[in-house]
Amino acid sequence: MKISGSHWLKLAKNLLAPVFSPCLFCGKAHMPSTKMPGLCTMCEAALPWIGIPRCRKCGRPVGCPDCSRSHEHGLLRYNRSAVSYSADMREVLGRYKYRGNERLGHVLGQMLDQAYAALQEVSIRNGDSTPGPPFARPILPFFPRPRAALWQADVLVPVPVSSTRLAERGFNQAEQLAAVLAGRRRIPLLPLLVRTQHTAKQSFKSRAERFADMKHAFAASTDPVLQGHFAALLQTSRDYGRPLRVVIVDDIYTTGSTLRACAGALVRQPGATLKDEVEICSITWARS
Amino acid sequence: MKAAVYAVKPQSHWELWLSLDLQVDMLWWSGAGGGLTRWNSRVADQLVLLSPSIPLGWAVQLRENWRPAAAMDSWDALAWQDYAKAALRAELRQEQVTGGRNDWLQIQEIQCYGRRGSGWLPAQGEMKVWRGAELDRVWLADQDVRGQGRIGSGRPSAQAEMKRDWGACLVSADKPRLSPEELDRAARELAAALEGRSLLQPEAEALIAERLPGLAGRWQAAAQLAQLQGRLVLTAALDCAERAAPLRLPWRGARSRRALPRCRRCGSAATGAAACAACGLAGCAYCEACLALGRSRSCALLVRSAPRPAVRCAAGNGAAASAQRRWGLGAAQAEAAAAALELLAERRERSAHSRPERFLLWAVTGAGKTEITFPLLAAALAAGGRALVATPRRDVVLELAPRIARAFPAAKLAVLYGGSPGRWDRADITLATTHQLLRFHQGFDLVIIDEMDAFPFHGDPMLAYAAEQACKPGGTFIYLSATPPRELQRQVAAGRLRHAKVPVRFHGHPLPLPRRLRAEPVQRVLKQGRLPKGLIQELRCSLDRNAQIFLFVSRIVHIEPLLALLRRQLSGTAIEGTSSKDPLRTEKVAAFRERQITMLVTTTILERGVTVPRSDVFILDADSSLFDEAALVQMAGRAGRSKEDPAGRVFLVSPDWNRAQRRAVSQIRSMNKVAGKQGYLIKEERR
Repeated sequence: MKISGSHWLKLAKNLLAPVFSPCLFCGKAHMPSTKMPGLCTMCEAALPWIGIPRCRKCGRPVGCPDCSRSHEHGLLRYNRSAVSYSADMREVLGRYKYRGNERLGHVLGQMLDQAYAALQEVSIRNGDSTPGPPFARPILPFFPRPRAALWQADVLVPVPVSSTRLAERGFNQAEQLAAVLAGRRRIPLLPLLVRTQHTAKQSFKSRAERFADMKHAFAASTDPVLQGHFAALLQTSRDYGRPLRVVIVDDIYTTGSTLRACAGALVRQPGATLKDEVEICSITWARS
Repeated sequence: MKAAVYAVKPQSHWELWLSLDLQVDMLWWSGAGGGLTRWNSRVADQLVLLSPSIPLGWAVQLRENWRPAAAMDSWDALAWQDYAKAALRAELRQEQVTGGRNDWLQIQEIQCYGRRGSGWLPAQGEMKVWRGAELDRVWLADQDVRGQGRIGSGRPSAQAEMKRDWGACLVSADKPRLSPEELDRAARELAAALEGRSLLQPEAEALIAERLPGLAGRWQAAAQLAQLQGRLVLTAALDCAERAAPLRLPWRGARSRRALPRCRRCGSAATGAAACAACGLAGCAYCEACLALGRSRSCALLVRSAPRPAVRCAAGNGAAASAQRRWGLGAAQAEAAAAALELLAERRERSAHSRPERFLLWAVTGAGKTEITFPLLAAALAAGGRALVATPRRDVVLELAPRIARAFPAAKLAVLYGGSPGRWDRADITLATTHQLLRFHQGFDLVIIDEMDAFPFHGDPMLAYAAEQACKPGGTFIYLSATPPRELQRQVAAGRLRHAKVPVRFHGHPLPLPRRLRAEPVQRVLKQGRLPKGLIQELRCSLDRNAQIFLFVSRIVHIEPLLALLRRQLSGTAIEGTSSKDPLRTEKVAAFRERQITMLVTTTILERGVTVPRSDVFILDADSSLFDEAALVQMAGRAGRSKEDPAGRVFLVSPDWNRAQRRAVSQIRSMNKVAGKQGYLIKEERR
């Protein structure tokens, strides 16, 4: 048998070549991405980021009839999402949420960071950059503060899942995503909400049904420890003379009914309504 | 999920059980249902509840590592706690390292009971006094709820107390409970519905919802009774037992992998771990290899039916002749079928724990493999057994289904693939993709794996494991292949694997031998923009004899430029290209079959399963590493499959002549030789 020189060369090259761990999206051992650890460069390049949303309110990449039609602003100021919910992203979310591939949680959490950055951007542009805690101010007035430091959320609140679903799935996807973001941005994460009703899967319902269903699905948690933390946060923001910036985190924004119901439940804290003391935004990983 | 764990002493020594419904266990061991068939005759006197709810994985671990001791009779709660903590030492330490709770196995949870009559009395304290009458009253009171009962006094308090005490394990506490008789019937039905299966809890629930709707939502009690009766095996989806001894060595590679839990369903090492809300552990391991069929976690309940012995087929005297007559087989086919039938009829001398008997049916491409399996299926069915035909590819499943249905009109056939309907039906013949076998456990007397060397079965140990699991220990396992992997070929050569060869095609003509055609690699041809002269000549020759041409290339990216080149140089010929990424693939293949397309440029996706009557095969870059011996034999097997044109032409076009090509040619040649020697070839065609 004749084996060409190139054959040996190939073998030698293989010995020296780096071993890439498989990409979490496509499973192939391509060149890993530096921006998104866990993904390969090809999958990273193919992510359908929502760069500049068309709807400035809900962060939708296409024109949004819902927001322009209903002029009610509600409690939710803005929503920003990282990617649009394409077929590929649907498959990824399915693998994470329903199949339970929890390794994806970290990647999706990293992606959520983009949504958070977009939320900062829109908040700064709308002049919400009231001074934060004193230590966040520049020591020397000549060095401008980094833009990102101008607006920081005070607390992240994940959308809860019902206890039945939690037992079945084993994890709360919104909480996992929020935890990654909280770690990256150093924002406290408080699961302040609980789900009082077990609603059937949202995927099969119409818009009106979703709103009706969601209205009383959430409530503020009565856990005294969480309440204590929350009260302390509220007090701090009162001291600065600005509302508490709460960001609700979820995996996907479809009609916004879940997030709006969560915002409603959050201001209906036991004992008091906090309508003027909190400023609620939301970020999600995907926007359909 | 979580489960209760208790130790019980029915006769002379202690046993450990895990429970989904403690009431059933209390009833079982109290001997209250003694009059029923298959109800417990072994009454226990002592029962120690170790924990009303611990992670299921731990409960199973306790059960597996159970070491009964005589001294247990006099143990108090503290001693039991020490025992449990020692048995779960590794798990508890692991959990602490991961940062989970460290208040597992509290002494307050441990409760010792002694039997009084047909009820249970706590050994110490004044907390719960359970007399036989009271226990009965609870059961009867439940009948009362359903409008058949007799008494009800004191019922709410007793029931409320029970709920409070075992709230964690009484999943169906607020649903009407079943009487012992009903429970027994439900357990029997459940065990029958789950026969031969290995299902995770959600799958089992889906099966129950479809086949036993009356039991939906309250199957735990029935499952628990079935477990006590030995009809079902309740276990955790991961097996954590294979923990290697903690050596002080660099913790890498194979050793660290061995320390990982194993998936009981697919046999892989469970590499994932995450906090789990269902069992409360911070490091609940899960298997990442079989995620697509539902997550297999260390706390996930895996329900399996207890294995049943395999049936033995009737010995076949003159099996070959009758098979030939009944199924219209050729001489070579009948001979092979008879050899396999002989194996089926053999009495198994081995113990029940051994692996199933394996058999390789090595039939050349176009030999009519499917028909050979028919007598085997018929024999298994006649003996009252269940048969499985598995193949790695879904399109093969869909193609085989009508043929098997036609051959066995009386048998109930289940066709399983990802997303198929009728997943939970009981069937005599199951036709499935190999992935679906993960849902079976020792359920079949006869397992036939078709195209076992095809992707993804070949090279996926998970599927091989699943296939082996699906066969009963005393059953028969038949591999069906035209190109068995080297390992099996070696076993055949060494005489370690029984086999039968079908060296000739059904039409009795020899296989076309591939010819060599030296040419530049495709990459260079594309760069030069001109096809090699020799190749063009042979292509023209094939077109002149009015044959259709398979042109195999090694890479998808070559298809488009090669198409352009071919269309230019062979104008007037209908040439198309297709690959796995082509949405119009099925249409193009259909058009090729109907002779609307003359030449099809494609990759190995069409190497098997496609039969085109009058066809020639050209394999470009035949020295590519992507074409192994099996692929080459399969591709060459596309030629000369019809009676009208048995001598197709096959060309291996490449600059080099490598090992795979040599082996492929010698395999084909040796098959032809065997066929000639055994006299299967048609005389005048003999070369």
